[in-house]
Amino acid sequence: MTKLRLAALLCMPAFAVAAYMDFVFAPEDALQGPVQRIFYLHVSSAIAAYVCFALVLAGSVLYLWRESPRADRLARAAAPVGLLFTSVTFVMGMIWAKPIWNWDPSKTWDARLSSTAVLWAVYAGYVLVRRFAPPGRTAARLAAVVGVVGFVDVPIVHFSVQWWRTLHPQPVIETGALPGSMLAAWMVTLAAVLLLAGTLVATRYATERNREASEARLQRQEMVQLAAEAP
Amino acid sequence: MSFTACALAVARKDLVSEWRSREVLPALAQFVLLALVVTLFAFDLDATSAARIAPGVLWLVVLFAGLVSFGRAFAAEREQSSLEALLLTPAGPVAVFAGKAVAAAALLLACEAVLVPGIAVFLGVALPPLVVAAVVLSTLGMAALGCLFSALAVQTRARELLLPVLALPIWIPFVVYGAAALTGRAPQALANLLALDILVVVVAGLAARYVLDD
Repeated sequence: MTKLRLAALLCMPAFAVAAYMDFVFAPEDALQGPVQRIFYLHVSSAIAAYVCFALVLAGSVLYLWRESPRADRLARAAAPVGLLFTSVTFVMGMIWAKPIWNWDPSKTWDARLSSTAVLWAVYAGYVLVRRFAPPGRTAARLAAVVGVVGFVDVPIVHFSVQWWRTLHPQPVIETGALPGSMLAAWMVTLAAVLLLAGTLVATRYATERNREASEARLQRQEMVQLAAEAP
Repeated sequence: MSFTACALAVARKDLVSEWRSREVLPALAQFVLLALVVTLFAFDLDATSAARIAPGVLWLVVLFAGLVSFGRAFAAEREQSSLEALLLTPAGPVAVFAGKAVAAAALLLACEAVLVPGIAVFLGVALPPLVVAAVVLSTLGMAALGCLFSALAVQTRARELLLPVLALPIWIPFVVYGAAALTGRAPQALANLLALDILVVVVAGLAARYVLDD
């Protein structure tokens, strides 16, 4: 069994344990009731998305600096996974906001929601550049620039929209406001989500490597054929 | 030639060829005029609502005019295959990029010079000077990022399609601070815009080398 398959298999019990921690072990929130349990997955997938985008940044910088094809492959693998977890964060946040804020997206907008939408759009642009650029070095170079500039812009968007008031709760984890049992449930969920994110990135990385290898093989075969046909 | 001289020479070349061909400016001026006419038809305006929506109209028109102006900056070179020749000169890619960004920013500023009086005439709203200052400051930063993505987009299959997808989300902070120039926090919003301009020009200048280096 390959390491990848093992990691993928491990994700299933990890999420089962996380579900037990979130729904059974963790106490019910006194004010928000069962809806608060969304918090565990919401914050964990937000962190997973940021980790993926940090990987895109690292891969992009390394590619521009060293032209390392491995760094480019890492950035290419991490971007769609980051998009996926941003979408999960987004949807979870909206489900939570509906009963808690009595929230209706057509009537009010929220700063955090908008900055997350911009984050999503920036990395969707990254994926589109990859698709539309001529494959090979050009695609890697252009996408790397978007990966770096996008990551510089994301915190600016985040802080600029805070000029408008947000209903988003303030951080509870680093301030120690979270009770111990809830913190434990959150940490287990975070570990499970990070394991899943890592597995997805590694799978995409392996897929991209195999695709590159098979493309190179095809090209070589064509060259050999052309050489054989030449008079 | 120094870096500045090279950049100014490229900017001058772009502006002279625009002056001789008159391609972008008339199209932009017409776009501004039509956008205002559409605003008049599309909104049910009276004296108070016109004052409320005027800054929004201003920002929308500036964003979309910017997409046209910055998109043309590199698309025109690409169509005539003159970008390679330009890059082969000893000027260096960053100087070429800087020159083109300056020329495109000048075009957009000219378009804003039509837009701001146009809003006063069509909507009957005199925009506060602070808002105009915010628009001018934003134009500089938007030009740096817009031209970077324009140079990037012309190298792809999608061309014009990719520029709005990349530029619009990245431009959001300019709109945020620009809109804040209307509120009581105007001086700080302008200071933030200036800081943002400096940051964006540095980042775009560093990245330009990689976008134009083929």
